[in-house]
Amino acid sequence: MAADELELLQGTLDVLILKTLTWGPRHGYAVARWIHETSDEALQVEDRALYVALHRLEARAWVEAEWGLSENNRKAKYYRLTTKGRRQLQAETARWTRYATAVFKILQAA
Amino acid sequence: MQLGPGVRRLLRLPGREAVEGEVDAELAFHVESRVEELVRAGAAPQAARAQALREFGDLPAARAELTALSRARAGRARRAQWWDALGQDVRFALRATWRQPGFAAVTIATLALGIGANAAIFSVVDAVLLRALPYPEPHRLVSVWPDGAAMPGIFKILRDEATTFTPAGYSIEYEVSVTGGGEPARLTALDVTAEFFPVLGARAALGRLFAPRDDEPGRDRVAVISHALWRQRFGSDSAVVGRMIVVDGIPRTVIGVAPRDFRFPSPRGELWIPAPFDPAHVGKYWGSSHLRLLGRLRPGAERGAARAEAAALIDRGRSAFPWRMPDAWGTGIDVVPLQARVVGGVGPTLLVLLGAVGVVLLIACVNVANLFLGRAAGREREIAIRAAIGAGRGRVVRQLLTESLVLAAAGAAAGLALAGWTLRALVELLPPEVPRVTEIGVDGRVLAFTTVLAVATGLAFGLAPALRASRPDLRAALASGGRTGTGERRRLSEVLVVAQVALAVVLVASAGLLLKSFWRLRGETLGFRQEQVVVAEVPVPAFASDTTPRARAFFLDVLERVRAFPDVRAAAFASEVPFGGRGSTRSSFAAFVEAHPTAPGEAGPMLVNTVVTPEFFDALDVPLRRGRTFTAADRAGATLVGVVDEHTARRLWPTEEALGQRVRRIWRDNDWITIVGVVGDVKRDSLSSAGETVIYLPLAQEPFDFVASMFAVVRTEARPAVLAPRLQAAVAAVDANVPVAGVAPLERLVAESAARPRFTALLLAAFAGLALALGAVGIYGVISYAVARRTREIGVRVALGAGTGDVLRMVLREGGTLAAAGLVVGLLAALAAGRAMSGLLYGVAPGDPAVLMSVAAVLGAVALAASLVPARRAAAVDPLVAMRAE
Repeated sequence: MAADELELLQGTLDVLILKTLTWGPRHGYAVARWIHETSDEALQVEDRALYVALHRLEARAWVEAEWGLSENNRKAKYYRLTTKGRRQLQAETARWTRYATAVFKILQAA
Repeated sequence: MQLGPGVRRLLRLPGREAVEGEVDAELAFHVESRVEELVRAGAAPQAARAQALREFGDLPAARAELTALSRARAGRARRAQWWDALGQDVRFALRATWRQPGFAAVTIATLALGIGANAAIFSVVDAVLLRALPYPEPHRLVSVWPDGAAMPGIFKILRDEATTFTPAGYSIEYEVSVTGGGEPARLTALDVTAEFFPVLGARAALGRLFAPRDDEPGRDRVAVISHALWRQRFGSDSAVVGRMIVVDGIPRTVIGVAPRDFRFPSPRGELWIPAPFDPAHVGKYWGSSHLRLLGRLRPGAERGAARAEAAALIDRGRSAFPWRMPDAWGTGIDVVPLQARVVGGVGPTLLVLLGAVGVVLLIACVNVANLFLGRAAGREREIAIRAAIGAGRGRVVRQLLTESLVLAAAGAAAGLALAGWTLRALVELLPPEVPRVTEIGVDGRVLAFTTVLAVATGLAFGLAPALRASRPDLRAALASGGRTGTGERRRLSEVLVVAQVALAVVLVASAGLLLKSFWRLRGETLGFRQEQVVVAEVPVPAFASDTTPRARAFFLDVLERVRAFPDVRAAAFASEVPFGGRGSTRSSFAAFVEAHPTAPGEAGPMLVNTVVTPEFFDALDVPLRRGRTFTAADRAGATLVGVVDEHTARRLWPTEEALGQRVRRIWRDNDWITIVGVVGDVKRDSLSSAGETVIYLPLAQEPFDFVASMFAVVRTEARPAVLAPRLQAAVAAVDANVPVAGVAPLERLVAESAARPRFTALLLAAFAGLALALGAVGIYGVISYAVARRTREIGVRVALGAGTGDVLRMVLREGGTLAAAGLVVGLLAALAAGRAMSGLLYGVAPGDPAVLMSVAAVLGAVALAASLVPARRAAAVDPLVAMRAE
């Protein structure tokens, strides 16, 4: 891990995963790569934390899981966003935006 | 779920171990994907794998955490599913019940009767027998020498020297006259030793209770009053502590109030007085055994040690007596839990009732089981379909059981309401000697018992039919439309009917035995005429005990006035009235018979003595056999005379004539009593009591040592309500401070003494009636069903020429064999039950042939009637209709 890669704040991993899945069902590895790439490699998710998060999201019925075959014919567990999950994503995004804006305002004040 | 282009769906892996496999597979995929990516970027496979693993982090920890999460989720899902299924079952059961309201109503009513009766009786049994006494550490409380009582002298020895237990003593309840603090009144008092309250662990509601040394002469002019008395007589005034009251002429200071629910030995006690310990008064100190013993085991001691010590101490006390005690005295000392003593003789009766009511419930269950079997027959098709769709057998059984349990729950709720409603009435009917009656009620323990009973009942009548119904031959059931009566189901039904008849026989036979017992008791000759006799209690006026002549004069004076009343035939005073119950003190003394002196060490005869005025025998119409009764000539200073009854005359003088014989009290060497008359035997308290040796002594010659009250016995045509005020006026004219109490017709007292056997017999008869009704319904149901099943066969027979009589005979034979089998089994069981109950029977053998034969006849008739109705319906069937029936 590069020294300038940011560690994730608690709770944000959930919302990132949910966002990732809005582009369609993904397996765990794909979610990890996507987050890494889309953040221009600034964010590196700890794999263990990712999977725990995925299982927790499944337990809360924000995502659904099903086994399928990957591109190279390997068995993989695919996760998909549910309606509840979508609603949760909207709520969390709004909250996050408000939070970031508020922090930003203070930091920007001279 | 769309997984995206080119992705194929796999079937989900089932099972618990699969959870771990899934987690492994998911993590493995991740690592493999990373390895592939690195290899594609140019790394060597080994190095790539090492890097991928390093990048992942702690793989085992991850696997553990994920597995735990998945397992937890799977567990939650399974439990939710289970609850869901249960909810489904209950809803389905309710719907099924609703669809057949008649069936449900009959079932619930039957169960309500059975469970309700059990709940009611259990309430009584629990409060009286099972619940621990309401004192601290009740299992350490014991009754010492439960069959006997100690003299004050013996008690002192126990108190001074016992180390394994702390003894306390209490007398029986007696009535005292109390003035001060209100109207003069008669109160129920108890003599107790100073340790009485500390041993029981009671705490005063106000002031203090007795403490050690409160019964020493000089310090014992104190008293403790009951909570109820404090409320009623003293208006809950807290200044009652220190008040002076006069009890039987002795001024006493009230030092405290007992706690609200203190009820030892009964709720009647209103006043507790220190028991007197006066060694100078030899007759009372060594001769009056009136202290019943209780004790609290010291820490570390057990009952066995206490028993040994008590026996040793009492045996040693034998030598402290101023005269020689019979060798048999003071042997067989036992130490038993106090609870057993409090319950007394009522235990067996209550257990018999509990057994009876349990049998009723069994019969009810059998009835309902049969109903269920019948209903299951009609549902074969539905169940077969359900099984075909994929419901496992376990699920079907659970479904059917839920229906049973729902009905059982409804029946239990209705039964509990029934019990609560009738419990007050039941308690009123209880015989007076049942202890702890105030504690009876529907409480948590009764609720728990009823719940357990409901579940057990539901399983009992639901399990067999459910198991049977869940195993139908699928194809046959579906094909025939569900109306095959399998041979097995019919056999089970038949077994149930036999069981029902047998149970009913047991109950009816037991009731019959008890009723016959009671009848025997009623028929016992009393030895006196109870009609038109009124008794009343008049206490000895509060003079000091050495003015016997004044006490005598008082009673004779009152007697003169009463005899002057217009409708009085005869009037007398006696120290004890037959069936007088608790108020009368029974005096007895060890006697020395001149003609048959007792050898030293032998037990001499104990004579119960009743002090009477001359008209006593006339008032009660006791026949005079030989000699004479008392006259006015038998007074103080003249020769001491006495009258005995026939039983005593035979006992004391088996070979010679009793008239003219002499007896004396064992410690009065010179006061010989000459027997001048022999009268008929008189039953003294309960109808079943065996004869005691009795001597009647004239009031004019007897001292008033131990007697607290005399009883007026008046043969009169006037009703008690009319006599009472006149009596009171006559007494008040002689001494205004003496209250008259307990005015009652003798007939009522006699009837009350038969209360317990009457109660038991009547209640059992009620249960037996219930059992008969349930049994009849059961037999009717089964035979009806059997007939319905054979409708086709009957139709064929009729068509072939069978007459009505033939059909009747066929059906009755079926019912008859079942009933006969039930009778045989039932009679055998009834014999066993009778033997178990023999303690309650009086004059009736457990195998009394008259009772058993009448029971067989009654049940046979009932079974016949129950079979006849369906039989006649069968005979009236139109053969064409029958043959087309399905």
